[in-house]
Amino acid sequence: MPWFLYLAFRQLFPAGRKFPFFTAISVLGVALGVTLLIVVMSVMGGFGYEIRRMIVETEGDIQVKSPYPIEKAGELIAKIEQVPGVAAATPYASGAVMVLNQGKPAYPLLRGLDLSSVNRVVKLAPYVRVGSLDDLDDDSVILSSELAQSMHIIVGETIEIYSPLMVERLRGDEVFLPREVKVVGILEIGHQQLDSSTVYCTLRLAQDLYGLDAAVHGVNVRAQKGVGEDELAARINAAGLPRDIRAFSWMDSFEAFLWVLNLEKGMIFFLLLFIVIVAAFSVASSLLIAVVRKTREIGLLGALGARPITIAACFCSQGVLIGVIGTVVGIGLGFLALAVRNDIVLTIARLTQRDEELRRFYQFANLPSHTATSDIVTIVVLTILISLLAGLLPAWRAARLKPVEAFRNE
Amino acid sequence: MNEPMSDAVLRAEGIRKTYPSGDRRIEVLTGVDLSVGAGESVAIRGESGAGKSTLLNILAGLDACDAGTLFWGNETVDPRTATRRRNRYLGMVFQSFYLIPELTALDNVLMPCRIGGTLNAAARRRARELLGNVGLSERSHHLPSQLSGGERQRVAVARALINGPLLLLADEPTGNLDEKTGETVIDVLLGLCSSTGTALILVTHNAAHAAKTGRVLMLRAGQLHHV
Repeated sequence: MPWFLYLAFRQLFPAGRKFPFFTAISVLGVALGVTLLIVVMSVMGGFGYEIRRMIVETEGDIQVKSPYPIEKAGELIAKIEQVPGVAAATPYASGAVMVLNQGKPAYPLLRGLDLSSVNRVVKLAPYVRVGSLDDLDDDSVILSSELAQSMHIIVGETIEIYSPLMVERLRGDEVFLPREVKVVGILEIGHQQLDSSTVYCTLRLAQDLYGLDAAVHGVNVRAQKGVGEDELAARINAAGLPRDIRAFSWMDSFEAFLWVLNLEKGMIFFLLLFIVIVAAFSVASSLLIAVVRKTREIGLLGALGARPITIAACFCSQGVLIGVIGTVVGIGLGFLALAVRNDIVLTIARLTQRDEELRRFYQFANLPSHTATSDIVTIVVLTILISLLAGLLPAWRAARLKPVEAFRNE
Repeated sequence: MNEPMSDAVLRAEGIRKTYPSGDRRIEVLTGVDLSVGAGESVAIRGESGAGKSTLLNILAGLDACDAGTLFWGNETVDPRTATRRRNRYLGMVFQSFYLIPELTALDNVLMPCRIGGTLNAAARRRARELLGNVGLSERSHHLPSQLSGGERQRVAVARALINGPLLLLADEPTGNLDEKTGETVIDVLLGLCSSTGTALILVTHNAAHAAKTGRVLMLRAGQLHHV
């Protein structure tokens, strides 16, 4: 071991003393910052992961879309299902409609599902909170929870649906009556944006409302396990789809939404990083005091033949060692906190008598957590880098100290 | 005072040193000539402020002189490049011991080996042997804070000799010790230098200690004189 590393280690952990106060406080400062970063990033990652999982489960891995109605959906699906990596495909029709209930309008998205194939591609059934997907027929719909709640609609009620086709027909002096349908279920995916405003119906009903006949708006595709969405989308696009029809991965389709999720996570990471920076300032300050306190020892090292650069490395190493130990302790504490996160949240909620609101608002039975390796690597690299920078100023001061001046200042 | 010797481990010729004091400069050393032979012991005495420590720092290559030339063996010494050579060539003992408080006595003795990259089993054996020679075998794993002043200075002596230097510079090594302890330290220092063939320059106020060396010089008016 180089002498400067040995001495740095010994100065942090002197022989005969288990954990000196300065070292403990410095390590704890860095560790708390890392713990907080790990916990918040993991919980944020958990929310993001859950939302992504919900999107994939309810939308499929790939969406094959066209700006125009797709006439020969059966042929297209057959072609898509021949692409290696495709597990199943189901057609859909979707578009904006107006829902009227007791004179109160809403403008949700209508999503027509092919009941014969939808279950092979998307998993909507687990999210139907009231009623069942099996109850759905050409005269009934399932509403998303937020829509039902905002319009005060309960299962069993009848609502009116107006489609944009009515406007077309009105221009031709035709009378087009709204479609009366029965609400047979409430579906709740668990994310406000996904639950806010959707009407689920059969593909036939959606085709009727949009005057599509047998055409569809697109095809949802499920990828086989282990097949990447982007890779599969590229394969489908290369399979010779008709003109104007393109396959998009769910990440492409929800690009803006994912961007917002990543932005939120990035911003929180940036803000929390300041905790580590503050801890690093405290380390730098303590090390600077140590340089002043150890002036004679620094002079001695020079007198014993140590070069200024190695004396600097000794103090710089102390900053890095504090950073490394703080990071390891912080990661340990972070995972410990994540392991008991639900107990912590529920205890706080109970103490503040907010447990009911918590369950209703977040919809998750447990506080989600998903720790990405890239997050850990980023946290580790940045923390150690910041600790290294914290050690540089004291190191520079120590390196500039000449032995003879150090002895003179005794 | 110049006593050139054919096998000199240290030679200083015409060493001059001035310090600024307000708008003028004070001449501390006005042309010091000194030569120390292998295994020789030399004491330098002088009043406080005479420039003894300044001279010792220059001889150790820790400080630069304004004029004059310094040789370690036959090579001139440049303080800017002397750092690594000092590790093998010189040993130093200071008035205030300067032990590293976080290291045990043994690790303090081994520090020059660590810095010089010569730490090995033989160095460890030698460190234990030196600690035994200064009477601290049983205290090798004690921290400086657990040692008395005399014991700390004996550890410093062992440290100064660990790399087998040709020359040992001791700056008032008994200055912080009582008379009896100081006597012991000087005896240990001289005994070890004699047994290892290490030349010694001892800066001291104490005439009795100086008398134990082979040659006593007095630093007066910036120059060395025989006593």
